[in-house]
Amino acid sequence: MTDLAHPFRQPRPPGGHGWWVLPALVPTVAVLVGGLGLVLSQSLGLLPFAGRPNPGLDAYRQVNAAGELGSALVVSLGIAVISTALALVIGTAAGLAIQRRRRGSRAVGAAAAVTVPVPHLVGAATMGLLLADSGLLARLTGSTPGTFPAFVGGPSWAAVIAEYAWKESAFVAIVVVASLRSRAAQYDEAGAVLGASPWQRLRSLTLPLLAPALIVTGTISFVYTLGSYEVAWLLGRAYPQPLSVLAYQLFTSTDLAVRPQASAVAAITTAIAAVVVVIGSMLLRRSRALR
Amino acid sequence: MRPLRWLRSTFGVVGRLGLVLWFVVPLVPMLLWVFANRWPYPSVLPTELGTDGLHQAVTEGVASAMGRSLLLAAVVALVATPIGAAAARALTFGRVPAGRLVEVILLAPIAIPSFAVVMGLNIVLLRWRVPGLVGVMTILVVAAIPYTTYVMRVAYLGHDLGYEEEARTLGASPEAVRWRVHVPLVLPALTVSAFLAFLVGWSDYIVTLLVGGGQIVTLPMLLGATTTGTGNESVVAVMAVLCVLCPLLLFGAITPIRRRSQPTHSAEIDRPVAAAELVGSR
Amino acid sequence: MERSNRTPMLGIPALGLVTILSLGACAGADPASTAASQTANSNWESVLAAAKGQTVDLWMYGGDPQGNAYIDNVLAPAAAKLDVTLRRVPITDTKDALNRILAEQQAGRTDGSVDLVWVNGNNFSTGQQAKAWACDWVQTLPNARFLNPTDPLLVKDFGVLTGGCEAPWHKAQFTLVYDSAKLSDPPSTFAELFAWARKHPGRFTYPAPPDFTGSVFVREALYSASGGVENVPSTFSQSDYDRLTPALYSTLQGLKSSLWRGGSTYPRDQAELDKLYAGGQVDFSMTYGPATLTSLVDKGALPATTKVLTLDEGTVGNASFLGLAANAADSAGAKVVANLAMSPEQQAAKADPQVWGQFTVLDVSLLSPADRALFEALPASKVVPPYEVLARNANPELNSGWVGPLDAGWRREVLGAG
Repeated sequence: MTDLAHPFRQPRPPGGHGWWVLPALVPTVAVLVGGLGLVLSQSLGLLPFAGRPNPGLDAYRQVNAAGELGSALVVSLGIAVISTALALVIGTAAGLAIQRRRRGSRAVGAAAAVTVPVPHLVGAATMGLLLADSGLLARLTGSTPGTFPAFVGGPSWAAVIAEYAWKESAFVAIVVVASLRSRAAQYDEAGAVLGASPWQRLRSLTLPLLAPALIVTGTISFVYTLGSYEVAWLLGRAYPQPLSVLAYQLFTSTDLAVRPQASAVAAITTAIAAVVVVIGSMLLRRSRALR
Repeated sequence: MRPLRWLRSTFGVVGRLGLVLWFVVPLVPMLLWVFANRWPYPSVLPTELGTDGLHQAVTEGVASAMGRSLLLAAVVALVATPIGAAAARALTFGRVPAGRLVEVILLAPIAIPSFAVVMGLNIVLLRWRVPGLVGVMTILVVAAIPYTTYVMRVAYLGHDLGYEEEARTLGASPEAVRWRVHVPLVLPALTVSAFLAFLVGWSDYIVTLLVGGGQIVTLPMLLGATTTGTGNESVVAVMAVLCVLCPLLLFGAITPIRRRSQPTHSAEIDRPVAAAELVGSR
Repeated sequence: MERSNRTPMLGIPALGLVTILSLGACAGADPASTAASQTANSNWESVLAAAKGQTVDLWMYGGDPQGNAYIDNVLAPAAAKLDVTLRRVPITDTKDALNRILAEQQAGRTDGSVDLVWVNGNNFSTGQQAKAWACDWVQTLPNARFLNPTDPLLVKDFGVLTGGCEAPWHKAQFTLVYDSAKLSDPPSTFAELFAWARKHPGRFTYPAPPDFTGSVFVREALYSASGGVENVPSTFSQSDYDRLTPALYSTLQGLKSSLWRGGSTYPRDQAELDKLYAGGQVDFSMTYGPATLTSLVDKGALPATTKVLTLDEGTVGNASFLGLAANAADSAGAKVVANLAMSPEQQAAKADPQVWGQFTVLDVSLLSPADRALFEALPASKVVPPYEVLARNANPELNSGWVGPLDAGWRREVLGAG
């Protein structure tokens, strides 16, 4: 509406000016620039723990020469991709089941709600108690030592993937429910009135509606899994190590000279995660543009 | 027609049962170990029940660790939620220069492994003599901002500004519009994002350990140290249950607010009426 | 006067010191050394005075409930009597404490949040490299006179001279344990142990280096593969490494297929091996801290039929220490606590298997008869033989310069290969 007293003043945007991003933006930039900048400097040899600065890519070369970097990348990315995919599928199914309010929906909602507040450290501990060689599942199936599949510490990293998928699926379910709350019911009803089958309604109405939420949670799950330490450490195996475990081991190594290598691994992990986030952001833009 | 519908509904019930089991079964061993004094392999159930784990957890200082965790998580939630919501609203409705870049920056803390940030920042925090607790809180607030911002972003995407515009047309002051129309409409999402921020503060391990300098013994830190010992399964289970119980109770407490359905009036005629109701009802 | 407020416990060493000094004076010691000792005594007085009201942060591994209970219920009250608050900081790995000290040093902090650290081996030598430890303070502790100055386990920590930079606390012996219900005829040498493992595939394994216990197991295997401890020079040199390790790695490689899970993976650390052992997945476990065995068997965490394996050629022994951070905020209090921890009363209390079961670092022959009786009255453990039996034929630890290359070599040759 034009303000007749001041015809040339820009109307105030309905959401207020953009200043309101600052309380969130300033601390974030400060922490990220500080943390990343220092880690990058350490990896480039500018801030050694002991001795003189030695700028260069030595740390990167050394950590690659040991051969552990390649296998770490494969393991980390593999775990992240599989667990995120599982989490998205199961989480969406759970979210839809909760939102549909059929028989048993409340139970699913309660079960997912119980899982969300479980910290990953606790989740890893309890998953270990369940899936270990002498864990609950092994005892229930009555398997003799040596015959139970190697979920914990095995070559398939099954326990690690299961823990991430389990926890993240609850997160996805909650977000899906929150996202469907406002408009899904009416679109769904409209679709049903128009004669679409449940599967068609799911594919053409619900999933596109959920796309932004799924992209966001998928990206968040992926990069969290990439950078998480506790679960891979508790439920994984000694070799090959994922990126986070490798970085931690290098950082706490008794040989002080390998600390820049730890920073190098951290920098590489961050770079991969940043790329994934950029891709997710682009997908988000595109999904919103299609609306 | 009828058998197909029966099949579909049974499939649905089985599916829902499967989902319930998927979420609940991993928690079972933890619960069983809480009261297990002895549980040797290959017994399926504990051979000796008792409260040894509870006693030991208390002597290890679990009560004060819980208090510290609560304080940390509460502060993170109370700080991260409003600033995340404000940022989300500005990004959705306001004019933010380089909006896409700002969005990427606010999401960035999730992309960076927390230990990488702490490794770098530790030295700065020490040199500036920042108290350990303040340092941990700052880093965790920044870690929680992506969650709060994006939950609110998703909520604002489905948020209809029309209600606020109508209320303003009806003559309500900006404060009234904010507190009587805007906030109640997004309150479900606000509580979810506050809860997520609380969780970030509650479940953190590495940041508290490295920045806090051991002066802050939170529940995850205590649990982490206890897990590495032998024969501590019962104590670990007790701590784990406590670690899950607090946020669970909180989640239950916010459920009524979370579940409150947003207005489904979509007709142009209904909106002014709804807005008037919201403004005039308090 | 301050002296009247002293507890009798601290009064004894002070009195003993004065007695010994006066005896020395009677035997004709020159006045200069007597004066020096009296200065030392008054220096200690000033340390005690400075320590009053301080809070000492002791960073130590938090996964051992007995250790935690000892600190909280025995050592801390004793320190409180000297007006020093002892606060235990539980950590998962000693490296965390070292990282903290180094980070604070790099930031130029002199009021460090780490005072004392339970440390030995590589963590000590890493700290020495980075000048993380305060030095030349152990000899100023009154109770240091009960230590044998020529004890090889106390003079060198993994081959690095302790040089008064860390106060001895306990002694330990690398120990293998087995389930006597499953093994009626246990092996008595390392070679026999490997032969047993080959005959019973999947029933033996060891933690993967660089875990502390796995690392010492590989060093033990090096002794065995080299034909005895005397064939391995304690100081590291690349030529010795190249000469001796092929036999070691080929032995371990050959053993791989008979190990648990066919040697495709190893337990991440000693706790995981214990879980496998307790879960009946393997028949042997190992530890560098046999003090914990008694209570673990009592609790039912390990099978009741667990017994210690005594090897003819002996096993590696070491001592663990209390390190004082160079930038500690409460160094006077820390010194008082370290002295207290070395006192005969505390060492005897700690050695009781029901309390903690950690072996003493004190030379019992240097103690007064009353103190010696404390040690003789210690109850025996059902699982762990007395230290004299356990430490028979004890082998010295290799210089810490060996640890890194052996760990890395193991990962490369044994773990990574195939």
